[in-house]
Formats: sequence, C-alpha cells, structure tokens
Amino acid sequence: MTNLKFSATAAAIAFTATAAFAETEITWWHAMGGQLGETVNKIADDFNASQSDYKITPVYKGSYEETLTAGIASFRAGEHPNVMQVFDAGAATVIGAKGATIPVQDLLSDNGVDFDINDYIAGVRYFFADSDGKMIGMPFNSSTPIMYYNVDALAKAGVTPPQTWEEFQAITAPALKEAGYVALSQSHLPWIFTENFMSRHNLPFATNNNGYDSTDTEILVNSDAIKAHFTAVTEWQKDGMFEWFGTGWGDNQKPFEEDKVAMWLGSSGSFGGLLQKDLPFQFSAVELPYWESVIAEPKQTFIGGAALFAMSGKSEEENKATAEFFRFLTSPETQYFWHQETGYVPITEASYELAKKDGHYDRFPAAEIGVTQLSAEAGEHTKGYRMGFYVQIRDIMNREYGRILTGEVDVETAFKNIEEEANELLARFAKTQG
Amino acid sequence: MADTTLETPAVTQHPRRIRWETIGDHVVLILGSLLMMMPPLLALTTASHDAVTIHREGLQLALGDDLGKNFHAAMFEKGGFTQTVDGTLMLMNSFILGIGFAVGKIIISMMAAYAIVYFRLRFATLAFWVIFTTLLLPLEVRILPSYEAIQKLGLTNTYTGLIVPLIASATGTFFFRQFFMSVPEELAEAARIDGAGPWKFFVDILVPLSRTMIAAIFIIMFVFGWNQYLWPTLITTDESFFTLVRGIKQIVLSYTDSQIPEHGQALALAIVAMIPPVVIVVFFQNWFVKGLTESDK
Amino acid sequence: MKRAGFDNIWLPVALLLPQLMIIAIFFYWPAAWALQSSFFLQDPFGFGSTFVGADNYTSLLGNNQYKRIAWFTIVFSVLVTFFSLAIALLLAVKADKVIRGAKTYRTLLMWVYAIAPPVAGFLGILFFDQSTGPMTKFFQSFGWDFKLGVDYNATATAMVIAAVWKQIPVNFIFFLSGLQSIPRSVREAAMIDNRSATGRFWQVTFPLLAPTAFFLLIINITYALFDTFGIIDALMKGEPGNNPMTLVYKVYLDGFRGNDLGGSSAQSVVLMVLVLVLTVFQFRLVERRIHYT
Repeated sequence: MTNLKFSATAAAIAFTATAAFAETEITWWHAMGGQLGETVNKIADDFNASQSDYKITPVYKGSYEETLTAGIASFRAGEHPNVMQVFDAGAATVIGAKGATIPVQDLLSDNGVDFDINDYIAGVRYFFADSDGKMIGMPFNSSTPIMYYNVDALAKAGVTPPQTWEEFQAITAPALKEAGYVALSQSHLPWIFTENFMSRHNLPFATNNNGYDSTDTEILVNSDAIKAHFTAVTEWQKDGMFEWFGTGWGDNQKPFEEDKVAMWLGSSGSFGGLLQKDLPFQFSAVELPYWESVIAEPKQTFIGGAALFAMSGKSEEENKATAEFFRFLTSPETQYFWHQETGYVPITEASYELAKKDGHYDRFPAAEIGVTQLSAEAGEHTKGYRMGFYVQIRDIMNREYGRILTGEVDVETAFKNIEEEANELLARFAKTQG
Repeated sequence: MADTTLETPAVTQHPRRIRWETIGDHVVLILGSLLMMMPPLLALTTASHDAVTIHREGLQLALGDDLGKNFHAAMFEKGGFTQTVDGTLMLMNSFILGIGFAVGKIIISMMAAYAIVYFRLRFATLAFWVIFTTLLLPLEVRILPSYEAIQKLGLTNTYTGLIVPLIASATGTFFFRQFFMSVPEELAEAARIDGAGPWKFFVDILVPLSRTMIAAIFIIMFVFGWNQYLWPTLITTDESFFTLVRGIKQIVLSYTDSQIPEHGQALALAIVAMIPPVVIVVFFQNWFVKGLTESDK
Repeated sequence: MKRAGFDNIWLPVALLLPQLMIIAIFFYWPAAWALQSSFFLQDPFGFGSTFVGADNYTSLLGNNQYKRIAWFTIVFSVLVTFFSLAIALLLAVKADKVIRGAKTYRTLLMWVYAIAPPVAGFLGILFFDQSTGPMTKFFQSFGWDFKLGVDYNATATAMVIAAVWKQIPVNFIFFLSGLQSIPRSVREAAMIDNRSATGRFWQVTFPLLAPTAFFLLIINITYALFDTFGIIDALMKGEPGNNPMTLVYKVYLDGFRGNDLGGSSAQSVVLMVLVLVLTVFQFRLVERRIHYT
C-alpha cells in the first residue's frame, strides 16, 4: 500500500511538472491475441488520433488468466496499468477486492461523461455490476454463445437449424448423421452448457441471487434439468450425433471448419474469425437451442468475454483520461467498428441501431444473432453470476465434463463432485475477503 | 570417468559370431539415433511448408519451398501482439539469460566455494549448511513465494529478476567445493610460503587451475539457463524481455485460440531455440561430458 | 574445511556475501513466506486475509483430486524413470561395444540433452495431433482411439513419451561414462569366466554400474517431478481440463491461474517436505553406495 500511495503521488507530481506541454499517458492491459489484438491496437490508435490531450498504450499480456495474474501482481507492486481487461470468471476476484478498482459508473460521472445503464443492451448491463446494479467494469468484448451451422450440410440433410434440443434430438441430428456429418460439437462446456444453460432456462445457478448479494454462496449446479441435459448429451455422443474434441476451444471448432461437424456451439465473437478463414462452405448462425420441456419461452443469455476495469491509485488526470477513453470506446462508431471486425456484440443500443441502419445485418444476418439473444426477455436468474475462485470452478467443471464424455464417471457422480469441490472453493474464497 | 575415448575389450572369438552380434549392435544404435534425431529433423522439414499445409496435413517429411520465408518471418518480422518483438530480440534475450546466468553462477559460486574450503572460519559450517540446504529445493517447488519476492522488490520484467533468483541454488558452489577439495593441499601451503596472499592465490593459481572445470560448468549452466521456461514465463510479461523458450509459450497459446497457428514460423522459432545449446553441447562434448559426470559425483 | 587454510577474516566474508545474500533473498525469505501464507487465506490484491490455521492443509489432504494428482505423479515418475533408464542403458551398452562409428553414435544419442523441455513438448503437440499426428496414427493402428486432450490415458502416454525422450541423453552419458570406467582387466577376466554376453552383463557389468544407476535414479526422479513442467504445460495446450498433471503443475495452476495464494503455498510446503524426505533417502543411498564400492 505504501508503494501504491507513493506511485500515485509521484505520478501526480510528475504530471503537474509536465502538464503544461505533455499529453496524459495511460496504459491498457488486455488479453486479445492475434487478429483481435490488431483491432484493439486500431481502436487505441484511433483514440489517440482523435484528440491531443491523452494517449493510451495497449499492452498484450497473454491469456485471460495470465492477464489477471499479471494485473494483480502489478497492483501489489504499485505498477499497475490504468485499464485492465478482466474476463468473466475473474469478475468476483477483481470486484471482491474493494479498493482495487474505481467503479466505471463513478469514474464516468465524476469526469463529466454521461452514464445511463439503460443505454446498454439488456444482456450486458449487470454481469459486471454489483448487487445494487451499479456497473463496476465496462463490458468490452462481450459475446454470447450461439449456434453456428454449415448451410450446405443442413441443406444436404434437408433440415433447418433446430430451435430446441427436442428438435435437434428427434429431427436435425439423425438427418445430419444420415448425410454423413457429426451433428454437433461445442467449445467451452462450462460457459455454454452450464452458465448460459441456466440463464437460457431461467434456472438459479447459485444461492444469494446467483452470488451477487454475498460471498457465503453455494453453487446450485447439481440440479435435475442440467443433469438431464448432460445425460442426453452422452446419448447423442453414443449415437454419433455429438462429438467432444477436448477442453481446448480451437479443438472443437476445427472439425466444424473442416466440414466434418455440421453445427458448432461457439461464441458470437467467433464470427469475425470464421469469416476471415474463407471456409469451403456457407455458414450462418442461430440462437442457442433450449429444452422446451424445461421452459416454454427461452430467456436471454448473458455476456461472456471480458470487461475493462479502471484501476485505483491513479492521478485524477489519468482517471480523466481513462474516462475519456471509455467515452470514445462506447461511442456508437467505435462499437460498430469493433462489432464488425470481431463479431463481439455492440454494447449499447445506439451502436446496435447504427449497425442496423448501416445494413450490417442485411449483409451478415448471423452477426445479429448474439444481439437479439442478449436482448431477449430477462428472467430472475439471467443477469449473470458472481462466484469467487471461479477459474478453478470452471477447471473442475471441465475436468468432470471430460470424465463424463470419456465414460470415466456417470453424470450423477460428476455433478456431485462439481458441487462439493465448488462449494469448498466458495467457502474458502469467502475467507479471503475477511 | 573422464576418459572418453572408446575402448573395446580385446576379444578373440569366432569371426562369424562377432559379425552378427556387431550388426545387431549397430541396428540398435541406428534405431536409437533415429529415435533421437527424427523429431527435430521432422520439425526442420515441416518448417519449410506454409501454415495452411501444416494445419491441414501435419508434419511433413519432404522439404517444401518456404524454409527461408518462415525463418525470415520468425527472426525479423515483429510478431507477437504488441508488434514489438522479433526472433532476433528473443535470441538476444536468450543469450543474455544463458550467459548471464552461467557467468554469474560461476563467479558467485567460485568465490563462495573458495571461502568455504580455504579459510578457517568460525561460521564455516553454518555457512556450508545455509548454502547447501538450497540444493534440496528446486525453484519449481517455491515458485509462488519466489515470485512474490521478485514482485515486492519490483524486479519483474528486468534481467536482474530473470537471472539472479535462478542463481540462488548452490549447485555451482557444490561443484567447485568438490573440485577445490581435490586440489592438493601443498599448493596453498607453497603459495603461503612464497608470501602470496589469499586473493593472489585465488586469482593467480586456483582460477587458472580450474579452467577445465569452469568451461564444463559454463556449458552445463548455459544450457540450463537457456532452457529455463517456468521462471521466465512468470517474470517476463513484457514481450521485449521474452526469451526464445518463453516465446514458445505464445506459440502454444495460439493453439487454444481459434486462429490458424503460424506453424511454419513457430517451428522455425523452435529450431532457432534449439541451435545454440545444441551447437555448444556437440562441439564441446568432451568438456561437457566430463563436467556432467564428474561434478555430480 | 581444509586444514591448510588462510586466516584472513574479512576476505572470506566478502567472498561469501554475494552467495549468502542471494540465498537469503531468493531462498529463505520466499520459503518463510510460503510457510507463513500457507496458514492464511488472502485476497490476491492484498486487501483482506483470514488466519485459517491448518485449513489449507486439511482441505488439500482431504481432496480426492489432489490424491489423484499425487498418484499420477508417482506413476509418471516411475514410468519416466524406468523407461529412460532402460533405453539409455541398452544404448550405452551397445555404444560401448561397437568400434566403428562410436563417436558419431555418442554425439547423435546425446545432443537432445540441449533441447528445452517446452520445445520437446511443442514437438509432442505435432506428433500427437488429434487428426494428423504420426504417433496418434500409430496408436490408432492398434485399435486405441488415441486422442490427446480428450482421453486421460492418451494424454498421459504422450507426456510420458515426450519426457522419456528428453531424458534419455543424460542417462546415456552417465551410463556410457560408467561403462568406460570399468577397467580392462575386469572385462578380460569376465570374458574368461563367463562366455555368454548376457550373463556377463548381468553378473559383472551391471553390478559395477549400480552406483551410477543409484545416482541416476535420484536424478531421474527429480527430473520427472520438477523439470517436466515445460513438457506438461505444452501438451496441455493451456487447458487443464481432464488432463493428467504433476504436483508441481498443480502448485503453479492454483497459484498463478487460480490466484489461491494460501492453497498454493500449502502445496509448496507439502512438496518441500516431500523433497526433504527424498533427500534423506538419497543420503542413505549414497552412504550405502560408499560402503558398497
């Protein structure tokens, strides 16, 4: 803490000394690799070119997990960046550490940037908010799981993309199998088949309002609907209608690109990458299927991906610069650019309108799927979840799901394991906050 | 142990039997050599193809046309994501780590070993145990606390933070201690009678006497430092400090993403990461083998 | 330690100081920190922490997954040690026998020593690729649905193979040098006593190599426990999932991926104790070895 105060003062002194002739420089640590990283750099360049008072430098820090760890370490050393990208599973850690960040809502209003949470698309509003609904982190690369499909393959099989899992099971998958395809593969089981499964079916994922209200939370993953779902998945797998290629994201996407798997559950943020790859077939996307037997009208999903947090301990001038950058970032034009380049959803209603008006969805109907799904009707349990040590909890899910799908354990045992281990981690996390 | 010339027992046996047995020996050795050679060789041939071919078809036996292109891209094009680092810079960082670690370790451990072996010190035994306990616990075991220490000292993303903690194990001191103990005692005696002080004895007699040992340890330590992975991965988050081996981590990361990995360039980079330590080990193998087999005893 | 020593006081202190300082800062301080923080649960940002006594230890030792990882670590170490020693011994015996090309063989068989473990792991990714890897096809030809990252045993196999491959050279170098240090007179005497080459090997050569083998055993166990980190990390491709891992990897995962400082520190301490036990065992062995020769 002494370090922190020192650096803040030092920065303030340094600033007053040079304020007369220098722009305020801020840094932004992010986890966007490859083509996404290039788009991040472009946004930063555009911001720097748009005015002369502030300069932002984006720095790539590796994977989401590495970025979070590097950010935490730097914070304790007092060398942290102004803006840090934190992914969904790290939200509890960074929001739990009160004093590590400045709530983005406060940052903006303190620096004269208008803020109204209702300007944001419904599904992105509350994931990175506190229990009172105050936005803490600015949603940045917001994606939601959707179902991509191979248009040619489905035409060959004579089916349309399924809306429900019942339809998939009875009609779509058998027809695709007949046509020589594995019907379905999917990336990131915890995100798509657990977290968003709960939201889509409006099922509680954890006690205390999905964990938002308090840290003495217990996970509610060991429930009948999801166990029935996984039992169905193992049966599809046995019948050759579903295949699992490992925990890696790309391992499950690759067979879809290779025309072996007809439908793939991925992220709306995968859209830009798929477009660039020049696939040998036409592809499109639909919303995430649901079980009609569980819910008649599916609810919205919530965002995955990551948010930008303004770190505390910085000078007022730098915070002002950060606020200005957020203003730029949330402008309809920037959001639309980001949306077009990457497929991540535009986070504000205004940018969504801009994309519509510009005819983006006439050209790429699949690009709109994520937005409409996020804007679907909200339910009691659809705003997200807030659980500590969630990186480990996800790893536990991945491990147990892997064991289910390789026949090591049955569904019942796996979910019992997840519940027990996750609850122990949650109890431990509560103590870290003490 | 030091003798590396190959002796074979003088045997007189039935000539026919010898031939069959010798052929058998050669077959085993050739198979063994192939086992060791094939993976890196396939890496080289595969590095001569373009990314799409490798992505679709995997390892390639035949040479393709893109070898030069891939190596050029890996070494001179600023890759990564901040676009600040190319293979040449990573190569330089690897050399800084390898040489810095080897030289630092040799100097520090020679000095300590000298003090322990040649001086009458009241706390010599204590110093000995304080130092040699470190042999027991490799850095991997105490990785988190070591990282905490580095971070508290503000040494993340510095060469000091990269190199110095790796020196904190006493392997080198142990090697030199063993070596100094085997140096005849009369030498120090004679030096004293000649009126040479301890520093003069150290610099003028002991260090020159240890030349072979120093060379051997340098090779072993250089390879050890060059090949460090876990520590550089944690300590350097700033790309301009990446070593080649650390760079491999970025390559592997691209597999978890959905991007098409730049296999050709990645393999080229991996090959560059292999060359310097391999060259040193192969060309100085007599010293290296001697150092390895003697110092560990 | 030596009798003919110098009497100077400040010079040895000055000579020892750099080493002692580095060790104090980068060894004793961290070790003490690990011990201390293993009794706490703390917010990684440094805002809160709770003293939990031995909770971190009890929850660790009561955790089935931790036991599973410990079990894998043992199996992995045994397999890696056994295969890399056995293959290296075979090659060293042959390399010791042949006359023609002996030096070339030695070079070809030892140079992989210089390759970094993560590079070996990276090559492993290509060799064990799910759709194009030659090793994958090799195992599939036996009817094993070999899939790296899907099948626990497949991933474990890939890790063992890569780790063995990387360790053969060190063992080879030691065995060869051990063989070459067996005096010619002993060999010739054995030649007269025992006409079968196999019999000669097991009755004469192998016992003489036993000290080297004992020593290598320790080296190999240490390697399998700690130095295989890069191989495991590469073959896991960034997702632990249902992949096997060693205890050291788990320390890293909980500490650096999960930011569970208390839990990771407790695991560090457990490992430290484990290594200390191993070392005591090693000293015992070395003592016996001295009596033996």
